[in-house]
Amino acid sequence: MKEVVCKKEELSPGNIMSAHVGPIPIVLCRTPDGEFYAFTNKCVHQGAPMSEGVLCGAPAPTDTPGEYHYEKEGEVLRCPWHGIEFDIKNEGRMIVDSNRKLGNFNVSFEGDDVVVSTKK
Amino acid sequence: MAEQKQTKQKRPIIDMDIHERVTYDELLPYLDNPWQRYIKDTNWVQEKHLPYPILGAAGLDRADAQVPDGRPAGNDLSFLQQQLLDDVGHEAGILTGAGDPSPSSMNGWYEMAVALATAYNDWQIENWLEKDDRLYGSVHVAAQDPASAVREIERVGSHPKMVQVLLPIDDRPWGDPYYHPIFEAAERHNLIIGMHHQEPPNYYGKFPRYFVEWHSVMPNTHMIQVSSMIFNGVFEKYPNLKLAMIEAGFTYIPAFMKKMDQQYKVLRHEVPWVKRMPSDIVKDHVRVTTQPVDELTRDEFLKFIDLMGSDEIVCFSTDYPHWDYDSPFRALPPLGEDLEKKIFAENARKLYPKLPERKVTQ
Repeated sequence: MKEVVCKKEELSPGNIMSAHVGPIPIVLCRTPDGEFYAFTNKCVHQGAPMSEGVLCGAPAPTDTPGEYHYEKEGEVLRCPWHGIEFDIKNEGRMIVDSNRKLGNFNVSFEGDDVVVSTKK
Repeated sequence: MAEQKQTKQKRPIIDMDIHERVTYDELLPYLDNPWQRYIKDTNWVQEKHLPYPILGAAGLDRADAQVPDGRPAGNDLSFLQQQLLDDVGHEAGILTGAGDPSPSSMNGWYEMAVALATAYNDWQIENWLEKDDRLYGSVHVAAQDPASAVREIERVGSHPKMVQVLLPIDDRPWGDPYYHPIFEAAERHNLIIGMHHQEPPNYYGKFPRYFVEWHSVMPNTHMIQVSSMIFNGVFEKYPNLKLAMIEAGFTYIPAFMKKMDQQYKVLRHEVPWVKRMPSDIVKDHVRVTTQPVDELTRDEFLKFIDLMGSDEIVCFSTDYPHWDYDSPFRALPPLGEDLEKKIFAENARKLYPKLPERKVTQ
């Protein structure tokens, strides 16, 4: 399944939007460096619409209690309900449990069109 | 809305924790002077203690629950109907208020606490209870002044849609005889006692260093309140009184029942007015909500229920519109028709004497 979901300029870097591929609701994310990523628009935990969440960063894991190092600005998608963090540049994997991830789609371009397709 | 599209299934739900939210501006018409003037002239707000942000994606609330015109989540009836009640199929929802901290948590100035509780109740009745037949309310009181609390229960407790007296979980255990007039008034008006976690969360008002600690130990504070009421003999003195413990989940209950029973076996002589096993008192008088539920498999969930020795203790709640909202469709594993009926609606219906019988639908 493959579908043109928007024009590139319709989603500016650092933002997310909801779209569909066929009947499947997706969330389209664009990182601050301009890359596009698409996932199923449903949290793996309780099914919240991820497109209502926020694209943000997250404090890096550390060995030192009390130490904060904020990283991945614009690359972490947080669920609008329970705030679960998904790393969009790492296949949408949960930061706390990399065995669980959002459903993934391929993103390609035809001119200015953003094309999202299901993975084989 | 989005959630409905994910599943066509609807089931009768009695949701024991829905937060309507008031703004001070909305309360002003329900306050006399000097209270209005104290709020307007000095920008007074209730003390707030949390030393950390609430770390959901949008603070305290679901990021998608803000009213579309920009008002805070829970502030608009029609949006709440659209996002929660209509979609999910609520048969009834119990409002648990947004007085945060509750008037009962105010450290001083009890006079203002009494005025706020009264204003809140009038606002709640006019703007919510009398505008949607699915919504039921909680009587808010200033419990630091039990005589005023009893007067407030007398004033609004007989409203047909007021179903409980809401007390915060705070730094004073509620079994203290000081508070018993409140329980007596509640029982007399067919109201139950609802307790909702509040702040400060820990005994004597101390906070853990991190929010994640607080959110992990909420059951501790619920245990303090339940054991206080049981061992102070509240349920012996008020045999028809019921207690709803809201928002600490249910998984702590089986271990707590065993623990109290064992202590009772060896220490009963300290509390000779308690005449039944604590676990039996829990089964007869205490109900707890599912939310915030842990991710459990069906087998895990059923083991907890089995260890409780009763499938009538656990009741469903969403905590809408807060960040740790539980979806009626996704929060619990499949549990079978009988148990699901009880948890999603019938246990709550038996708990609240003022809720109507199940509506007959075809």
